[in-house]
This record gives sequence, C-alpha cells and structure tokens, in this order.
Amino acid sequence: MFDNLIARAIIPVTIAVTGFVIFGCLLLYSFIKADMTADAVRYADSLVETVVKSTHYSMMEDDRDALRNIVANVDSLDSVERVRIYDQTGHPKFSDLEGITEPGSVAAKVDTWAKTFMQSGYPGRENIQQRVDHENGYIAVTVPILNEPKCFTAACHVHSEGEQTLGFLSIGITSTQLEKTLAVLRYRMIIFSIMVLFLTIGGVTALLRMNLFLPILRLTYNAEQAAQGVAEYDLPKSDHKLGKLNKDFRLLVKQRDQALEDLKAMGNLDRNVDDGSR
Amino acid sequence: MTQETEAPLPDINPLRKQVQAKIKRLELHSSTGLWILALFTVLSMGAFHNFDFLPPLSEGIRSALGDGPPVKYINWALVMYGFSAIILILTQMASDKKPRGALGHLGYLGAFYLFYHFSEGLSENFWAIFVVGLTILGLQSYHVWNYYHEKIQEQREILVELDKLMD
Repeated sequence: MFDNLIARAIIPVTIAVTGFVIFGCLLLYSFIKADMTADAVRYADSLVETVVKSTHYSMMEDDRDALRNIVANVDSLDSVERVRIYDQTGHPKFSDLEGITEPGSVAAKVDTWAKTFMQSGYPGRENIQQRVDHENGYIAVTVPILNEPKCFTAACHVHSEGEQTLGFLSIGITSTQLEKTLAVLRYRMIIFSIMVLFLTIGGVTALLRMNLFLPILRLTYNAEQAAQGVAEYDLPKSDHKLGKLNKDFRLLVKQRDQALEDLKAMGNLDRNVDDGSR
Repeated sequence: MTQETEAPLPDINPLRKQVQAKIKRLELHSSTGLWILALFTVLSMGAFHNFDFLPPLSEGIRSALGDGPPVKYINWALVMYGFSAIILILTQMASDKKPRGALGHLGYLGAFYLFYHFSEGLSENFWAIFVVGLTILGLQSYHVWNYYHEKIQEQREILVELDKLMD
C-alpha cells in the first residue's frame, strides 16, 4: 500500500515534469535555431547587397579586371565558399576559382542549386533566392542582375530593352560556425534539462518523503505497536506533521488503555466482593 | 409453540455474474489509454516520414485550403495546448474524476502534425510534438489505468463478500 502511495504520488509528477521540460527545450531550441539562421541569412543578404553595389559601376564601365578583383577579394573572406557572376543563360562569367571546383564540395552544391533558378521560364527567376542547408553546412543567396536604361543604352555592349535579367550573382557562405554554436547550445540544453529534472523530481520526492511518507510510516509503526497491546505512553513520540490524525490516534489508544484499567479495577472489585461474601 | 423457519437467502449467482461482467468491462476500459498511446505512435511514425504514404493533395484542394499558418504561431499554439492539457489531466487526477478526452487529445495532436506538415515545419518540430504527445497521453493513460484499477479493486472486494455469503 505504501509503495503504491509513493508510486502514485511520484509517477504523474515525473511524467509531467520530464515531458514538459524536454518539450520546452526542443521548442526553445527550434526558436533559437530559427532566429540564428535568420541572422545568418541576413548577413548573407547584406554581403550580396554589398557585392552588387560594388560591382555595379564596374559592370557599367565594362571593367572586367575590376570585376575579377572584386570577386577575388570577396572570396578571400573566411566564411565565403563561392562567389560567381553568371550571364543570363546561366554560364559563369566571373568566378572565384574557375575550373577547380571539387565535386561534392559546398561550392559545387551552391552551383547546382543556383543553376535551377537561371533556366529561362523559371517562375521566380527575377526574385532573390535563398537556401539554408544545415545538413551540408551552407547558406546560399542568388540575386538576379536586372536590366536598367543605363545598361541597354550603354556603348560598350548591347542589351536589348526587352531583356529583363542580364545575369545572376550567386554567393555561398559556410554555416559551420552556426552549426557549431547550435551544437554547443544543444549540449548545454541537454545538461540543463537533466539538472532541472533531477532537481525537480528529487526535490518533490524529498519533500513528499519528509512531510508525508515518513510521518505516515511512523503512524503505521505506532498503530502496529498499539495493536500488539503497547500502552499510549510507551508509544514512540511522533512529530506533528499529520496534525489531528496523529492526535486522535493517540487519544483512541489512551481511551483503550483507560478502559482496560477500568475493567481491571472492576474485576478486582468483583473479586473482593466475592471474597467478602464467603 | 410455533417453530420459526429461517427464510432462504436469495440466489446471489446472477449478482456474482453481474459483478464479474463489470470487472471485465472495467479491465477493457483500463487499457484504452494504452491503445490511444499506440495509435499516437503509429500516427507519429507517419508524421516522421512526412506522410509520404498518403496520396498528395490535388492543386484544387491545396488552393482551397490556402497557405498554412506561420510555423511560429503553431509553435505558440502547441506550447499553450501542451501546458493546458497537462494541467487539465493533473487536475482530473487530483480530483479523482472519471478520465475523459483521450481521443480529443489524439485529435489535437494529429491536427498539429497536419498544420506543421502544410506549413512545411514538420521536420523541424516533429520531436517537440512527439514528446508533448507522449507526455499528455502517457499521463492520461496512467490516470485511466489508475482510475479503473481502483474500480476493479472495489468490485473484487464485493465479489469476495459475495463468495463469503455463498459459503
């Protein structure tokens, strides 16, 4: 019965606390991951915007050396894995490492992904495209280089007015640092959850044991002793955690002791009366 | 002098059979929580595979349904639901009320899987729904088992008393 009492008190608390703490941590991790990923994408977007703005003048002037320099300088950033400027048909015109892309590398994956948007007739061809690939560890952004009056009126090379997109700029940055931070966060959350679980379940168990189970155990022991005939004043002193229940139990035992004494006294009186009448 | 004859006791066999049938019925009820937990596990296995065993929805139905809600709103709804459901079940347990609503919880959890699926956030949030579902249905099935176990004990005590009467 006592084992059941412990189980019934502890099991629901354990299930509820364990489940909710794990659930909370998973969801919190999901929120933090989304926020950190959004930050990383914002960084990639701003990098792309910087490259577009810095290459704009060189494109207008048809300064290919300057364009090559800009692409090479951007590529020298630690996080940048791929920078490429494509023409409108999806052929690379300026690239960080022309011709030495290892198959399966982040650069190759970014190229494969970027080329899907460059096909003519692709619905979102004129929009900025972003991709976050946590599994392969990269964030890629592709922006269309749109036609403008200065382009089709320039003397250097002729674009017709009807061409909407003149090319694409594709940048792929590694998300290794982001993945590392997320991994550290995961471990910290696991350790924190285990600590919270131990403290909560241990704390609840200790409090229940101290305030409920031990007083009940003492009362059970006293009841056993009383049932074996031990008098109230010989019963071990109990604490006051069970309050009225404990007081009433001792009163019952006291009344039983009193009744036994009275019976004994009555028995002695009867014997004396019997002796006197003889 | 008239001799008083003791009136014969009524036949208690039908009563015994009634109690035995009630025990069987209660035993069946006590395992419903586990059945629902098993159903949820099967549903979760489907969700884990992104419901790819189901035929895809036609474009017409997709456009009629519209875009799914943003994932962050579903996340908040899940937090509110998980918290309220656990409190509700703990309150039911504390007041020793008849357990109700296990099928409803299964429905809510299934709806969350579907909402995440249509909002393309299922792979990111699968474990969160799975854990909260296990917690809610685990607590519920524990409450169901506990509640009906006590009822079965009561009926068994009645059965013992009836057996004594028969002897």
